[in-house]
Amino acid sequence: MSYQSAIVFGFNEYAKQIAMQIAPEYLSFAIFVMTEAERSAAKAAGFEVALFDLGEDWKLIEERFDPESLIVFCALDKDAENVFLTISLRSIFEELPIIALAGDHESAAKMKSAGANKVMATQQITANIITEMLEKPTVTEVLHDILYEQSFLKIAQISVPENSFLVGKHLHDIDWGEEFDVLVLAIVDHQLSATFSFTSKGHHHHIDPEDILVVVGYEDSISALSEAMGVEKWAK
Amino acid sequence: MISRWIVGIAFFLHASPNYRYIKKFAHNLLENTNYPYKKFFDYTMMVLIVISVYILVHHVKYEVKPDWLFFNNYVISVIFLIEYMLRLWVYSDNSKAIIEQYEHDLFLQRPFRVWGVLHRIMMTKMGFVFSPSAIIDLLAIMPFFHEMRLLRVFILFRVFKLFRYAKSLQQFVSILASKKFEFLTLGVFAGVIITVSSVLIYVMEANNPDSKINTLFEAVYWSVVTIFTVGYGDFVPATSEGRMVAMVIIVAGIAVISFATSIVVSAFTEKLDEIKEDKLIDDVSKFDQFYLICGYSPLTAQVAHRFIKNGNQVVILESNHKKVAEAQKDGLLALTFDPASLHSYHALRIDFETQVISVILLEESDVLNVYTALTIREMSKSIKMLSILLHHENRRKLSLAGINEIVYTQELIGLMSKEVSGRPVAFEVIHALRSENSGVFIEEIVLDDLMAGQFFDTTKLSMFHKRLIVLGVYKQSSQSFFFNPSNTLIIDAGDVVIVVGTRSLIDEFKALMRRKKRV
Repeated sequence: MSYQSAIVFGFNEYAKQIAMQIAPEYLSFAIFVMTEAERSAAKAAGFEVALFDLGEDWKLIEERFDPESLIVFCALDKDAENVFLTISLRSIFEELPIIALAGDHESAAKMKSAGANKVMATQQITANIITEMLEKPTVTEVLHDILYEQSFLKIAQISVPENSFLVGKHLHDIDWGEEFDVLVLAIVDHQLSATFSFTSKGHHHHIDPEDILVVVGYEDSISALSEAMGVEKWAK
Repeated sequence: MISRWIVGIAFFLHASPNYRYIKKFAHNLLENTNYPYKKFFDYTMMVLIVISVYILVHHVKYEVKPDWLFFNNYVISVIFLIEYMLRLWVYSDNSKAIIEQYEHDLFLQRPFRVWGVLHRIMMTKMGFVFSPSAIIDLLAIMPFFHEMRLLRVFILFRVFKLFRYAKSLQQFVSILASKKFEFLTLGVFAGVIITVSSVLIYVMEANNPDSKINTLFEAVYWSVVTIFTVGYGDFVPATSEGRMVAMVIIVAGIAVISFATSIVVSAFTEKLDEIKEDKLIDDVSKFDQFYLICGYSPLTAQVAHRFIKNGNQVVILESNHKKVAEAQKDGLLALTFDPASLHSYHALRIDFETQVISVILLEESDVLNVYTALTIREMSKSIKMLSILLHHENRRKLSLAGINEIVYTQELIGLMSKEVSGRPVAFEVIHALRSENSGVFIEEIVLDDLMAGQFFDTTKLSMFHKRLIVLGVYKQSSQSFFFNPSNTLIIDAGDVVIVVGTRSLIDEFKALMRRKKRV
């Protein structure tokens, strides 16, 4: 993991769940809250806490964390506050990865404009999962296992190194399933754009260094593939 | 002695399953609008009525074949007579009334008063006989006595019988009936004006040799024609006094007409919402399969639109009028019914076993969702229920209420946050697949016998090779998932395949698996 430290803003139900999930993943982790009540609650839950207000100049962050290896989650109660917080952080830290929560589409668009790198629209996510659970229960179960459970099947993103045997080949030249027992879902073509494209779309991708492959497979198969590619470590 | 017989027969009938079945069947056919076969009975009766009226009209100028006359005078009349007798029979339960009276008297240790109960039964049945629709039914049978030529005109009462069989006509009458008082007031007003003006015009005109109005009947006829603004002109006042009366009555006539129009319009306006809601309830009861969502919120709108996009029907129940209006404005089928009340489901005639795919509880409180879940569990033990959870400490309560699937968004967001910070691209890929907005879908296909047999051969076709990703097969027998399956895996009917691809490719894959091999 490239980030060493993380901050979660807010301490509502969402923030609490985010904190519980990500805190063990980072060397330093803190919760920033706006009220004394939230501070006591977060402290009681065993987290490191700091008070802030929306008019902050963020010296607080610079003093305690290295902004180069920091990731932040904006999970305040109100969408308007999250937008303001995002824009305020972005004005000081141009490169800081900001992940923000939004209630609906409208707020999500505003947060994107305010400079959030990733917005999680809670309503849309809930609606997606509800319909998926009822219409595609097996897909839900399998994806849940791959993503969140400690199963042997994993999803991984592997960056193609400079001297990899893959460089110069087309994505469809290789029978991934047969040779490596993995499936390549998508690729981020470093030269074309920063966004990914699905392999199922059938485009002929020319693999270049720094392209990112999104693969699904058993842990051992992914390790074998990354080793063959010359990658030392992949994100589990 | 007679009382013993009567009580014995009452007990026999009350206990007889055949008798009860036949009576229930007759009741359903005649009175139960929700009974699926009632409409066939209604249509048959309507056809008989139309035939009957056609014969009457045709017979005025032309000869009608004796067979048709026989059919009209006897067959149709006998059918109507049987229907009348059946309606009289199912109107009340005599055996039950006798048994209740008998047990009551027995309990109070006094002799069974047979005449009292027979009198009561008679009075109840009279309630039917003297009801307007029963009187019309009886008059419609009258042409049976075709020798009495005057009675032939009673055939027209058969037209009124249509009210029994056409729901829209019943609705029309019930709407007008809701304004009984207003119509009565209007009738009294018009009656007084007609009476006064008839007498006045008679007094002014009857003795005038130039006037055509010579009798009181002609005076009443003139008044009625004038007050209702028809004014044929066959009778006109000749004297100045008579014309004065005409002027007053013409003005009064406009008042009567506008009053009558406004009553009808306001009756319809007031009932409009009710009529619309009735129509929606009718639509819902006709749906084959739908998702039932309890509670309306912006989340409900998103869920409903996704289901609709995938070709499913959705019914939303919400007790708040404003929210229902909002949902309807959003193009969704929402009804103002309390989802936590058993009465709602009875009124809507929802059959959980056959019509509802799943129930989704999206009320904005765990308390309400639990309450609604328990109500629905009372209606159906097996229906699948999914609910959102707002506070994690209530998870167990939701499970205990019989909810099968629980969605706790906060926890999901927590898990996703970990994913998004660790593997942002992988997260984006899965999220795009799930949101179904990227043109590439993740689908599950339940295999039948034919598909299971042709699964591996189809995956090898060049059009799917390297373009359709077969993620794996979920085997029902072992309840386990086989990732990237090789053709050594035995595929059975009922197994679920998970594929990733474009919509057209997935559809083609399904179609080719179903195509029978040419021998």
